Amino acid sequence: MNALELTDVRKVYTMGDDSEVVALDRASLTIGSDEIVALVGPSGSGKTTLCSIAGGILRATEGRVVVADEDISAYSEKELTRFRQRMVGFVFQSVNLVPFLTARENLLVVDELGQRRGKAAQQRADELLEELGLADRAKNLPSQLSGGQRQRVAIGRALMNDPKLVLFDEPTSALDTKLGEQVMDLIRTEMKRRGTAAIVVTHDERILHYCDRSVHITDGVLAA
Amino acid sequence: MYLALKEMARSKVRFGLLVAAIALLVFLILFQQSLQNGLITGFIGAIRNQNSPVLVYSVDGQRVIQGSVLTPDLEAAARGVDGVGEVGRIGQGTFTALPTAERLGGASETFDTSVIGYDLGEDGRGLGSPTSLSAGRYPAADNEAVASSSDQASGFDLGDTIRILPGDEVITIVGLADDAQLNVTPTLFASYTTYEAAVASANPDARGLLPNVLAMAPAEGTTPEQLVANVNAASPDLDALTRADAEANTPGVSQVRQSFQLIFLLYGLVVPCVTGLFFLIVTFQKANTLTLLRAVGAPSSRLVGSLLAQVALILGSGIALGALLYYPISQQRLGGIQLRFETSAAIFWAVLLLVLGVGSALLAARRVLAIDPIEATTGAGVGR
Ligand SMILES: Nc1ncnc2c1ncn2[C@@H]1O[C@H](COP(=O)(O)OP(=O)(O)OP(=O)(O)O)[C@@H](O)[C@H]1O
Ligand SMILES: [Mg+2]
Repeated sequence: MNALELTDVRKVYTMGDDSEVVALDRASLTIGSDEIVALVGPSGSGKTTLCSIAGGILRATEGRVVVADEDISAYSEKELTRFRQRMVGFVFQSVNLVPFLTARENLLVVDELGQRRGKAAQQRADELLEELGLADRAKNLPSQLSGGQRQRVAIGRALMNDPKLVLFDEPTSALDTKLGEQVMDLIRTEMKRRGTAAIVVTHDERILHYCDRSVHITDGVLAA
Repeated sequence: MYLALKEMARSKVRFGLLVAAIALLVFLILFQQSLQNGLITGFIGAIRNQNSPVLVYSVDGQRVIQGSVLTPDLEAAARGVDGVGEVGRIGQGTFTALPTAERLGGASETFDTSVIGYDLGEDGRGLGSPTSLSAGRYPAADNEAVASSSDQASGFDLGDTIRILPGDEVITIVGLADDAQLNVTPTLFASYTTYEAAVASANPDARGLLPNVLAMAPAEGTTPEQLVANVNAASPDLDALTRADAEANTPGVSQVRQSFQLIFLLYGLVVPCVTGLFFLIVTFQKANTLTLLRAVGAPSSRLVGSLLAQVALILGSGIALGALLYYPISQQRLGGIQLRFETSAAIFWAVLLLVLGVGSALLAARRVLAIDPIEATTGAGVGR
C-alpha cells in the first residue's frame, strides 16, 4: 500500500479576467507507506498546492489522487472533511494552533471536533506530549510557548488522528538553524517510529538529509 | 461544547461584558414592563377589578367615569333594553381626604382620593364592587368602604377612618382590595349613599346628583357583548362598554401602551443587534482558528454548533442575571406605582430574546459556513 499516488494531477486557477494560472501541471508522484519525501522548489512553484491536493483541502482540476488506497479524486466537500479528519495530518506554514487552547487542548480539539474517542484521545495526547518533550508544557497556551515548542505542539496535533500521510509545509522556516534541525530530527524520529509517510516542503537544502529522497518542483512541474 | 466553553473560559472579560450588557437590557425591559403594567393598573385597576361585566357611560363622558353623567331619560333607556339582568348605579368623585388613623400621629397629609359609590346589594357585593378582597370584608352599611390596598401605609388600612374635606363625612375602611386604584389615587368603594353624602359634604350647594355610570350584568343567555350592542342601539347618547373595553378605552391607557411598545420594540432590536454584532466580530477575529480547524477536519456544522451554544449560553446567562437584578427592585413601589415581578413577562421576554439573539447570530454562522479550509495553507493564514 502506498501512502500517496498522484497520477497526472493538474490544478488550474481561473482568474477574474479569464486568464489561467497552472499551479500544478500533470504531476505524478508515488510515496511509499513510510517514506519521507522532501518537496523542494522556488516560491510560487506549486508546493503548497500539491500538499493541499494530497491532503484533501483542495480539489484537483484533473487527475487521480489516491491516499492509502482511498481514491479521493471525486470526493464531495463533506467527504473530504471526513477524509482529512481520519487520514492526514497537517503542519501548516503559519497558523497552526488555536490561541485560546492549551498545548494539550490543541491536541484534543482535533478529536473533539472529529472522531470523539474521548478517553483514548486523552491518553494519546499525553503520550504525544511526552514524546515531543512537552509534558511539562501541556497546560501552557501557545502564547506562553517558544517558537520551537509551538512547532512541536503542531506536530503533535498533526499526529493525533494516527494519519497515513503527514504534510509539513515549511516546518522550519520560522525557526533558527539549530532549532530547525532539532524539529526535523523530531519529525524523522516520529515518522519512522510510527512508519508513517510524510511530505516535507522546504527551501532549505540543509534539512534534505532528514528525508529519504527529495522531489523538485518548478512552475508546477515535478522532477525527481 | 468543548471548544465553546474553553474559549469563553479564556476570554472571561469579553464574554462577561456581553453578559453584563444583555443583563442590563433585560433588567431595563423587565423594569419598564412592570412600570407600564403598574401604571396602567394604577389608572384603571378599579375598572378591571370590579365585578360588573358591562359599564354604561354617556357619550359626553368620553369614557371617563367622572365625566359621564346619566340623565334620568338615558338611565331609563339603558335599563329598558333587552337582555339586562342586573343594573346598579355608580357614582365616582375625587375628593380631598384626610386619613385620621392614630398611628399617623395626627400629622397626616391629605390625599386626592377617589370615592366610588355603588349599590351595595345584600352582601355588599353589588355591581361595581371589587371582584375580590385581600383583607377584611365588603361594606355592610353606609360610611364603610373597601380601600385600594396599595395605600395601606398612607392611612388607608383596615380599621382606619378617612375624613372627606371640607366637611365631616367620615368613612371607615372595612376591607382591602389589590390593584383597585383609579387614576393612581387612593380609592374607596362605598355605598352609593355614602358617595352622595361625600359630594354633599364637600360641596353643600350641589343639587340633583346623577349617577355617572350604570353597572350592568346581562340576563341568562345574553353575552356582555350582546348587551353592549343592545344598549348602544337604544340611544345615540349611551356608550356601553364591556369591562375589558372600558379599561382599554380609558383616555391615556392606549397612549401609555403605545409609548411603552415603542420602547419595547427598541429594546427588542437592540438585544439581537448587540448579540449579532458581537458574535460577528468575534467570528472575524478568530477566522484563522476556524480555518485551521476546518482544515484539520472539523465539520462546519460542529463549528456552527459551537457558536450557537455560546450564543445561547451568553443570552441565557444575561437574561437570568437581568431577571435576578430586577427581582429586588420589583418588590418596591415607585411614586405610587406598585411594581411587581411578572413571571409571565419574564418568560415571554426570555424566549423572545433567545430566539431573536440566536437568529441574529446566524449572520456569524454564515461566516463560519463560508470559511474555505484552503486558506489555512496560504503562508500568512487568513486575512493576508
Ligand atoms: N487561490 C489561488 N488563486 C490563483 N492562483 C493561485 C492561488 N493559490 C495559488 N495560486 C498560484 O499558484 C501557484 C503555486 O502556488 P503555491 O502556493 O502552491 O506555491 P508555493 O510553492 O507553495 O510557494 P511558497 O514557497 O511561496 O509558499 C502560484 O503561482 C500562485 O500564485
Ligand atoms: Mg507555500
